Amino acid sequence: MFDRDAWLEIFHTVLSNPLRTGLTGLSIALGIFILVVMQGLGAGLEAGVANTFGDKASNVMEVRTGNAQLAFRGRKPNRRVALHNPDEQAMKEQLDTIPAWSRLVFRWGSTVRYGNQQGSYNVRGVDPDQREIGQVSLTSGRFLSPRDLAQNRKVAVLGAQLVQDLFPKGTKPSDVVGEFIQLRGIQFAVVGTFNQAGSRWENRSVYVPFSTAQKLFQNDDVVGRVTIGTGDAAIEDTREASTGLLFWLKDRLVVHPDDAEGVWVNNENEEAEMFRQIFSGIRLFVWFVGLMTLLAGAMGVANIMAIVVRERTKEIGVRKALGATSHAIVGQIIQEAVFLMLVSGCVGLLAGTWLLHGIAPLVEHDFFSNPRVDFYSALLALGILILVGVASAIGPAVRAVTIRPVEALRDE
Amino acid sequence: MIELHGIRKSYQSGAQTLEVLKGIDCTINKGELVAIMGSSGSGKSTLLNVLGLLDDFDGGSYHLDGNDMGGLGEKQAARYRSEFLGFVFQSFNLIGYKTALENAALPLYYQGVSRKERQKQALHYLTKVGIADWAEHLPNQMSGGQKQRVAIARALIANPRVILADEPTGALDSVTSDEVMGLLKEINREGITIVVVTHENEIAAQCDRIIRLKDGRIENPQAQHHV
Repeated sequence: MFDRDAWLEIFHTVLSNPLRTGLTGLSIALGIFILVVMQGLGAGLEAGVANTFGDKASNVMEVRTGNAQLAFRGRKPNRRVALHNPDEQAMKEQLDTIPAWSRLVFRWGSTVRYGNQQGSYNVRGVDPDQREIGQVSLTSGRFLSPRDLAQNRKVAVLGAQLVQDLFPKGTKPSDVVGEFIQLRGIQFAVVGTFNQAGSRWENRSVYVPFSTAQKLFQNDDVVGRVTIGTGDAAIEDTREASTGLLFWLKDRLVVHPDDAEGVWVNNENEEAEMFRQIFSGIRLFVWFVGLMTLLAGAMGVANIMAIVVRERTKEIGVRKALGATSHAIVGQIIQEAVFLMLVSGCVGLLAGTWLLHGIAPLVEHDFFSNPRVDFYSALLALGILILVGVASAIGPAVRAVTIRPVEALRDE
Repeated sequence: MIELHGIRKSYQSGAQTLEVLKGIDCTINKGELVAIMGSSGSGKSTLLNVLGLLDDFDGGSYHLDGNDMGGLGEKQAARYRSEFLGFVFQSFNLIGYKTALENAALPLYYQGVSRKERQKQALHYLTKVGIADWAEHLPNQMSGGQKQRVAIARALIANPRVILADEPTGALDSVTSDEVMGLLKEINREGITIVVVTHENEIAAQCDRIIRLKDGRIENPQAQHHV
């Protein structure tokens, strides 16, 4: 295997037969190249879609109200439907188990001031469970507590963008905790900060207790939205629960059963399930294409190896007559094939990787990002191709060495 | 040098058994130049295969330079081929992508001789067959006579006891044929036993002795005792 002379012989044979070498190499390199590129594009598509949609917790249902379009039980069409505190309480009571529950009042474009700095940000009045529901990643301090809500405390959790905009350069998140900010003209104490990687919208938000926000910014008992965490409930269960909840809400808020806009329950589980299916579809597609490419490549390689060995029958006869053992001849043919396929496979791998890295910056799109090469599956594919190549070379090679040289070498 | 006793060989062809060699008795002495003649189907190829250790035989005995060649393994046969035998073929059978020098050096590769030594030896034998100027040429740049000289150099390089030549002049014109035969006779005079398979009477006539094969038997057993 590491005999220098044997390798020289192999290099020589491979290099002095450019057509044969080129064809075998091309079929392997092309197979690996296409496989790598397809895998990379599939991975990029998946990453892009995941970036765009995968940011929030998927195991939640959202209850929202809007404008009822249909007249119902004596009520006029096109009227505003609102969820009031008693409705929210009743809704909570009629659900069996609730892993997480967060009400929301939302004020966008709220002025937040610290010292001389001020800016316009989104204020969200929420419950403590929002931390779990929104997968809030704290960078310092704490999130809102039940006591904050019970006592209508004026406390706030700041997004990373606010910390950066309002506080002096170089301020650490932990330095912000304990400071006081003006929120719509009212003083709040900062109890924590958070940073949602890659989400500018989230980082421009301030969380305050729901009860405080409802009282100070709204002065009524309207609940803007309720987000219900579903924990690890199965998709079928959440589907059933959301249907039941919508039915109950329409009855309670006097909305026509066919009214699509008065009140609705948005089951994010459904969306997540859809994306899971899209992803597994993409993955299946990429694997299918990859497998077909591999199959086509393997057939090409098998063909070429068979032709190459047949073309070399005479040479094999000569080598045998000159004192080569059958073993040595078959060994050399296989070593040549493996060497050639390994080199050209690596060429295909490099070319595919290079192409993916080359196009990645050019096609940054919402649904496409960071196409990467699945190195493991590329190597696996290369291994399979080499195995097929060797397997397809062995048959003709063994047949070639069993032919009696004097007959193979005669021109009769 | 070569002693054959009752060599039999048959091939299985479908359900039929085709007996090709039906008991060959023959002795070829050291330093002899012997022709084997016979029409096609007479068994001369098969005999050459057996003599060249490229095929086994079913019965009888074969001694090469006193060594029993019966029931050799693949490895042993390859070793005897590379140490005892040199081959010359009708269609030269040089490897097309190797130069004359590399072609001539190939047998030494299978004997594990170093690259440098191989090339030195190859050049020596190419010089000996008068074709050193063509050492770096590929076979398709040479004439038939030149190619056969390269093939003879290749057969000589391992310093064999016997050279087996299968229709060595079959693809050559008469002038070149004479040259190649002259070269073989010269090599023979240095003491190397040569067996030439041919169907040309003029070629056979230049040999010390003619063994005629017909239907798997030697037609002229008396030739055994010639010389």
